[in-house]
Amino acid sequence: MRTFAHFNARTVDEVVSILRRYGERAHVIAGGTDLLGKMKDELLPKYPEALVNIKSIPGLEYIREDHGTLQIGALTRLEDIAADPLVRGKYNALAEATRRAASPHLREMGTLGGNICQDIRCWYYRHPDNRFPCLRKGGGRCYAMNGENRYHSIFGANVEQGCYAVHPSDTAPALIALNAKVKTSRRTLAVEDLFEVRVGKTTVLDSDEIVTAFEVPTPAKATKSSFVKFALRKTIDFPIVNCAAMIASEGGRVTAARVCLNAVYVKPYRATKAEEFMAGQPINEANAEAAGDAVVSDAKPLQHNGYMVQIAKVMVKRAILACRSEAPPAQT
Amino acid sequence: MKEGSKATPLNLCPYCTAAFDTFEELKTHVVSVHKTEPLPKPAGWIALTVNGQVHELKVEPEWTLYQVIHDRLGLMGVKMFCDRGACGSCTVIMDGRPILACMSLAIECDGKHIQTAEGIAEAKHPLVESYIKHHTMQCGYCTPGFITTAKALLDRNPDPTVEEVMEALGGNLCRCGTYPQHPKAVLEAAQTLREEGSK
Repeated sequence: MRTFAHFNARTVDEVVSILRRYGERAHVIAGGTDLLGKMKDELLPKYPEALVNIKSIPGLEYIREDHGTLQIGALTRLEDIAADPLVRGKYNALAEATRRAASPHLREMGTLGGNICQDIRCWYYRHPDNRFPCLRKGGGRCYAMNGENRYHSIFGANVEQGCYAVHPSDTAPALIALNAKVKTSRRTLAVEDLFEVRVGKTTVLDSDEIVTAFEVPTPAKATKSSFVKFALRKTIDFPIVNCAAMIASEGGRVTAARVCLNAVYVKPYRATKAEEFMAGQPINEANAEAAGDAVVSDAKPLQHNGYMVQIAKVMVKRAILACRSEAPPAQT
Repeated sequence: MKEGSKATPLNLCPYCTAAFDTFEELKTHVVSVHKTEPLPKPAGWIALTVNGQVHELKVEPEWTLYQVIHDRLGLMGVKMFCDRGACGSCTVIMDGRPILACMSLAIECDGKHIQTAEGIAEAKHPLVESYIKHHTMQCGYCTPGFITTAKALLDRNPDPTVEEVMEALGGNLCRCGTYPQHPKAVLEAAQTLREEGSK
């Protein structure tokens, strides 16, 4: 790695003031498992001039229940969330998503805030030494559109950018299904509204703004949530497709459902068609299958990623079935 | 990352700007002349407790923990293979967590307690014997990473199941394919530990 200025921040305000001074030339580092790889590969068109370490800020690592919500600090390690009895009890989708992300070592290092803000994994974008100056780097074209696109978006590109790179987070769909909010250094917004495709960015965060906490509403009693993931390897792997669901039922019929897929679109993809289909229906094989069919009805796969349509459909089905009150734990 | 390419930074006294070759000399000067203690730590100075021994050293912002432990402290049990956080060869135990030294910046590890494969061997941990007994290696390059990860698991969970062992070791790659042997070795070490503990 080439050198850079380094700051161990003590408070959120200090981070903001350093970021203001440097603008886009500084990066925030928490777990570092995504950023350091990017810097070692000289991936970015502009190498960061400064890194601001936020691990040195005390009090941003916690899991607690408070006034009917679950509060999680942005610096809480994925492994701690996965192992937390409180999360495992009522917030199954989040516990399972954090348990299935990355590898054990990376979960001990990586934070929830970092997992949500991680960068895309498109192999053109990630090619060392900025070999492919693609749209997401401010360049002229998307190399995946007519190239090797077997892990790219099946629901089209971002209209403005034409970028087909999927969002790779495992925890994002779980947080969206659980209707979580994210708190930043200056505002609170729904996790669903956090994502935006921009040059060099995956979120709406400004260059002097950092994520500080998450707030997950405690699900009502007759509500179950689930997370399923399809990946080529069981560990150290990004999802081909993952899906999280939260379903409330009464008298055997669904009263409310939230289903979110990820790794199928440039942002986490709310499967609203499955949610609409399941409303008022009992959760069973046939309905879950039909809900999956509805979701992928408007898929527009590229040359090499048609197989992902089938996987997305099955992931929706399995996530819904895992929310049955008597459901056995979901496989994959 | 090139060492030696930079001149040794001068250690300037913050009170009278006198220059010293080493940080130790500067510390002695400030304590004796200016009568102040403790001295504020200059940027880039970190203290690491590695296998129980305290090391104070100056690091550059871009040095990874791997570089410091392997290249500066000379502990060769920390291995470099992928350098991207994907193989587990550089695993060390930092404050009880098995983490990857290649993806940690040394400058962010000030005050941390670190244990490496050397420390585990020195402490005569039964994992080492059971790894030899079960022939859990061929070329042996990945072995220190596996043992360090397994040690972190046994510290937290003294009686793991086969599935838990496999899950915990999921982030360690072995190109020789010794995977089936690892759960056997770890479970036997766990049993030895429990027997030792009950004595």
